[in-house]
Amino acid sequence: MLHDVKEDYVRSIKKYTSSYHENHFRSLASKDFNGWPNPLEEKWRLSRLGALSRIKMLPIKPDLKKVSDSNKKLGSYILKFIDGAFREDLSSELPTGISLKELNEKESLEFFHKIKESDLNNHPSTNVSLSCTPSIIKLTVNKDTNVKELIEIFYEGGHQNFSVHPVLYVELKENSNLSLIENFNHFTSLVMPLQLTEIQEKGSLKSIKIFDDNDDTYNLSAHCALLSKEATFNSFSLVKGGIFTRSETHAYLNGTNAKLNLNGVYISGKKQHHDLTTAIYHDVPDCTSKQIVRGVLGGFSSGVFQGKVRVAPDAQKTDGQQMSKAILVSKNANANAKPELEIYADDVVCAHGATVGELDDDQLFYLNSRGIPENKARQMLIQAFLKDIINDSVDGQYHDYIFNEAQSSLSSILNEEK
Amino acid sequence: MSLLEIKNAHLKLDNKEILKGVSLSVNKGEVHAIMGPNGSGKSTLSYMLAGREGYELETGEILLEGNPLNEMSADERARSGLFLAFQYPVELPGVGGMSFLREAVNSRRKFLGEEEFDHLGFVKEARKEASKMFVKDEMLKRAVNVGFSGGEKKRFEILQMAMLKPKVSILDETDSGLDVDALKIVSEGVNAQRNKENAIVVITHYQRLLDYIVPDFVHILSDGAIIKSGGPELALEVEKNGYAGLINAA
Ligand SMILES: Nc1ncnc2c1ncn2[C@@H]1O[C@H](COP(=O)(O)OP(=O)(O)OP(=O)(O)O)[C@@H](O)[C@H]1O
Ligand SMILES: [Mg+2]
Repeated sequence: MLHDVKEDYVRSIKKYTSSYHENHFRSLASKDFNGWPNPLEEKWRLSRLGALSRIKMLPIKPDLKKVSDSNKKLGSYILKFIDGAFREDLSSELPTGISLKELNEKESLEFFHKIKESDLNNHPSTNVSLSCTPSIIKLTVNKDTNVKELIEIFYEGGHQNFSVHPVLYVELKENSNLSLIENFNHFTSLVMPLQLTEIQEKGSLKSIKIFDDNDDTYNLSAHCALLSKEATFNSFSLVKGGIFTRSETHAYLNGTNAKLNLNGVYISGKKQHHDLTTAIYHDVPDCTSKQIVRGVLGGFSSGVFQGKVRVAPDAQKTDGQQMSKAILVSKNANANAKPELEIYADDVVCAHGATVGELDDDQLFYLNSRGIPENKARQMLIQAFLKDIINDSVDGQYHDYIFNEAQSSLSSILNEEK
Repeated sequence: MSLLEIKNAHLKLDNKEILKGVSLSVNKGEVHAIMGPNGSGKSTLSYMLAGREGYELETGEILLEGNPLNEMSADERARSGLFLAFQYPVELPGVGGMSFLREAVNSRRKFLGEEEFDHLGFVKEARKEASKMFVKDEMLKRAVNVGFSGGEKKRFEILQMAMLKPKVSILDETDSGLDVDALKIVSEGVNAQRNKENAIVVITHYQRLLDYIVPDFVHILSDGAIIKSGGPELALEVEKNGYAGLINAA
């Protein structure tokens, strides 16, 4: 008889939370997890989780003695999550004006309700991670605080046949600034990061995420961002690791003149599957959202970009731009782009474009005609393709670092094709 | 032995015969001009020589210093010393001019067994050559050909030629779109590179260029074949009477 491991995982989540009161956030969350999304569900049609239901899995019990193998790279301050648990012993003390704490039960329940009001309410990471996270960690930047130093967050750990559940809540109070870089470096596991970002009036967050888990890790990141009036959120994701990485971000522009940049790059090789899924909700007038997504795919990899932009009837003067482009460097790779515009207001400027293709023949020939060998020419054009968006998306002082991160994956993909 | 030898070149594009038996011998130290009506196959000939995919010969042969080029890829041909200045130089967004030049020059130097330039050494060399072509430093920092004016693109082509020091250069309408001053600069740039060891093939519609870059031979290409060859006086004849008379006489 077939062993139904999917049922096992659902049951283990319920069991994990069974000792809690029925109104406890953990039991509320576990009630809503009844298995992996069905491939008939539109949102998951292009990124199927069927394989997960065939893997035997349990939520991890964080090993608080595990040491970290990552070092500070860019940030002045570092925060570490290992096996999904925040590790104060391995993290920096934060500068004044910025604080970190574990949410208590009441606050966790409020957090639960905030997420549940969003369109991420039924994302598996929402329900499973809220059921199983060691604790919800909140990072708060005080009003009028301008944090000049970069804060670098590492998520690592993991173990074969276990799922990992870091949950982070970032709040920028009025008129504050923060720059974050988050690194996902897990070992063989299922990682389900959940994040809520709230940017209050005139707050500004710059965020870089680098998904670089090891070769057989699944990462199902779910991120909800709420922007108030005149808030700015600049987000850039580089997806390169894992066997299956889906970074799903839902951004709500709730206050007028809020500005959002939601850019991303995926670099996929071998049998990797990478997915950038975004939803942007323009609910009030005069907001701007810009999105550029680029992918390079080699080997037998597949890439997906799904971008929904919804402009509510009242959201006049919305400016929403979305561009996605994927370059296939292997005949066996494939990319899918699914822009989805729902525009209910009439006085808006919205543009979108999606292309999937190969490198430009004229450009390649031009480089070849200068003596530059085929492989080098391809590499130069792809590098240019990525450099363009990286330079557009992140601050000058991080260009080289991010570009090198992209470059290392790119080289291995191009070498595969040789 | 000729430096470049084209023997009875036939080529089809989309099943249509474009080159119908072109033969041409170019010796060291010579400048040849090819003139011909629009659509006669001049750019096709130059793409064929440069080794563009899809421009393989149906029959015929091309030799560079006696070595057959037919089986060589475009980049191999370029490293061996063949250069094509494009009629329409291609824009490369995101590819910086300086690193592009360096990559090209080092590929050629490596082939020649010469030492590759290091970063600083190269920048110095590039700036020196650029100033001769009145190419501003700022242009080298920009992406290749992106936002360059028509004239700037052509000057940048000749700068590449100067830095690559090819044996055979094919200049496909390098004079088109140039103002009088730029025409002088570009011609002087080309002339400065003429020597006893190399050769230049200029494709042009205008006799005026040939006042600056004086050719040893002029060929008329019409409907995929060279119908007449002569000295510089042939260009003057074209200028005066057009192609019609020549074509009818052929
Ligand atoms: N891919 C193609 N398929 C079919 N015919 C083509 C193709 N490319 C070019 N041609 C045709 O080949 C002929 C020669 O074109 P080519 O560009 O070589 O002319 P040219 O002599 O350089 O003209 P010009 O003076 O206008 O630059 C033209 O009739 C053109 O339409
Ligand atoms: Mg032409």
